[in-house]
Amino acid sequence: MAKKGINIWNVCCLLLYITTAVLASRDFYKILGVSKTATIRDIKKAYRKLALQLHPDRNPDDPKAQDKFADLGAAYEVLSDEEKRKQYDMYGEDGLKEGHHSSHNDIFSSFFGDFGFMFGGNRQQQDRNIPRGNDIVLDLEVTLEEVYSGNFVEVVRNKPVAKEAPGKRKCNCRQEMRTTQLGPGRFQMTQEMVCDECPNVKLVNEERTLEVEIEQGVRDEMEYPFIGEGEPHIDGEPGDLRFRIKVLKHPVFERRGDDLYTNVTISLVEALVGFEMDIVHLDGHKVHIVRDKITKPGARMWKKGEGLPNFDNINIRGSLIITFDVEFPQTQLDDQQKDGIRGILKQGSVQKVYNGLQGY
Amino acid sequence: MERLWLVRWQLLLLPLLLLLLSNCEGRESELNYVTCGSLVKLLNTRHNVRLHSHDVKYGSGSGQQSVTGVESADDANSYWQIRGKPARPCQRGSAIKCGQPIRITHMKTSRNLHTHHFSSPLSNNQEVSAFGENGEGDDLDVWTVQCDGIYWDRDEPVRFKHVGTDVFLGITGEQYGHPIRGQREVHGMSTPNQHNLWRTMEGVFIQPSQEPLRHDEL
Repeated sequence: MAKKGINIWNVCCLLLYITTAVLASRDFYKILGVSKTATIRDIKKAYRKLALQLHPDRNPDDPKAQDKFADLGAAYEVLSDEEKRKQYDMYGEDGLKEGHHSSHNDIFSSFFGDFGFMFGGNRQQQDRNIPRGNDIVLDLEVTLEEVYSGNFVEVVRNKPVAKEAPGKRKCNCRQEMRTTQLGPGRFQMTQEMVCDECPNVKLVNEERTLEVEIEQGVRDEMEYPFIGEGEPHIDGEPGDLRFRIKVLKHPVFERRGDDLYTNVTISLVEALVGFEMDIVHLDGHKVHIVRDKITKPGARMWKKGEGLPNFDNINIRGSLIITFDVEFPQTQLDDQQKDGIRGILKQGSVQKVYNGLQGY
Repeated sequence: MERLWLVRWQLLLLPLLLLLLSNCEGRESELNYVTCGSLVKLLNTRHNVRLHSHDVKYGSGSGQQSVTGVESADDANSYWQIRGKPARPCQRGSAIKCGQPIRITHMKTSRNLHTHHFSSPLSNNQEVSAFGENGEGDDLDVWTVQCDGIYWDRDEPVRFKHVGTDVFLGITGEQYGHPIRGQREVHGMSTPNQHNLWRTMEGVFIQPSQEPLRHDEL
């Protein structure tokens, strides 16, 4: 064959290969709605939010719901794994074909629990007659830094799971009244224990990883439930695992709602002549403060937008309220310094006597 | 045509090699250590019962909430949370070191595993109770984890030694009658032996988290 012919043939094949590769592979970053430089935390946060929105149970009228949901699962599976993400960034989806596929159900239930979404998350609507295992409540301590920026906590749940075993067992045992006839017109009522026969079950310990999100602005005592991750019930459903948020005290900031309070001690000189300083915030950014007037002890400064994000709308923030107190010089003044001060400050003697505890 | 195949082959091989190499690195995962804040069930390895408490008070001794050993594996009243000393909280997700002082708090009643100079009802050893309110009790709530190695391994049987009275948490097999029929007496004993070994079973094991994002202004 002519040399020219081979080259054209090669180029055509390559073009075909590239176009099919581009068309077949999905843009995982776009599916999750995150940038190419997104951190693992951003990715988890995006998945959790979208999974709730895109779940097929939530979109019964959308014929594409299953596909969109499957795409979401695939996107998370790749971008949440360091190695897979690297391969994907370099070679696209085609570079990934090996070692694929944890089921999307596994991923979904690590964020929401076993029965996660099936009943619209509303357990109470279920048939009350099904016995339920115990609930587990875990107090999860979070720092104010985590409340400000959000975080994810990975947790390994080791729990007993009912597995089929050979043979039968007694189940649904209950007391029943039996009436036996002793003779004409004479009856006896006895109480008897009656059981059904069920397939035998044994409890085997299994482990799985769960992802708990500490959402920005989360409040004390808020709970994150994982359906079905509680204690099993041999004749019924497992209970739930709930993470109860406990916000720890902070050495610098005090939380009141969405506002943060802090105190700053300045010197007497700074209080009189002014000062400039930075306060390091919970995520490391600096809040700049400038004073060129006299600052009285107990004076407050309001910094809007420097508080905590609001849980329901993280675009709204509270304020940072700074209260100043003044530290007086430690050494005593000599006569010359005293005269100097009297001269500079030119403040007359005041000496007002009043009841300070009753607002006079 | 052949050259194209060769290039593609190389392209596939390279990421595979990278994957293989990364898997060979030994990454020190916290997955097998017991960490601060975790919820665990503790199994006595000699008697095969789990540490347990409930809203039932001792009829003698201190009259405080009783602590027992139970056979069932699916009772939420057998969950205990591992926490730091009073006023010295441990960092959530950090592995507990051997010798580290901890509090063991009963999940359902928020009372701490506690022992003191009272006699246990069945064996006359030292009574072990669940004490405090909302997770706060007193200095007799503190125990140290006795184990080999650096950290408390989830699969390793360990001992719990009380800070204050120096006894070991243990069981010798005495059983209660009604209303907690079959449950074993848990008490403090003075010497370490086979009866005071415990290992973690079911639970919720918290992994260490990354520090939240810090934006350092350049």
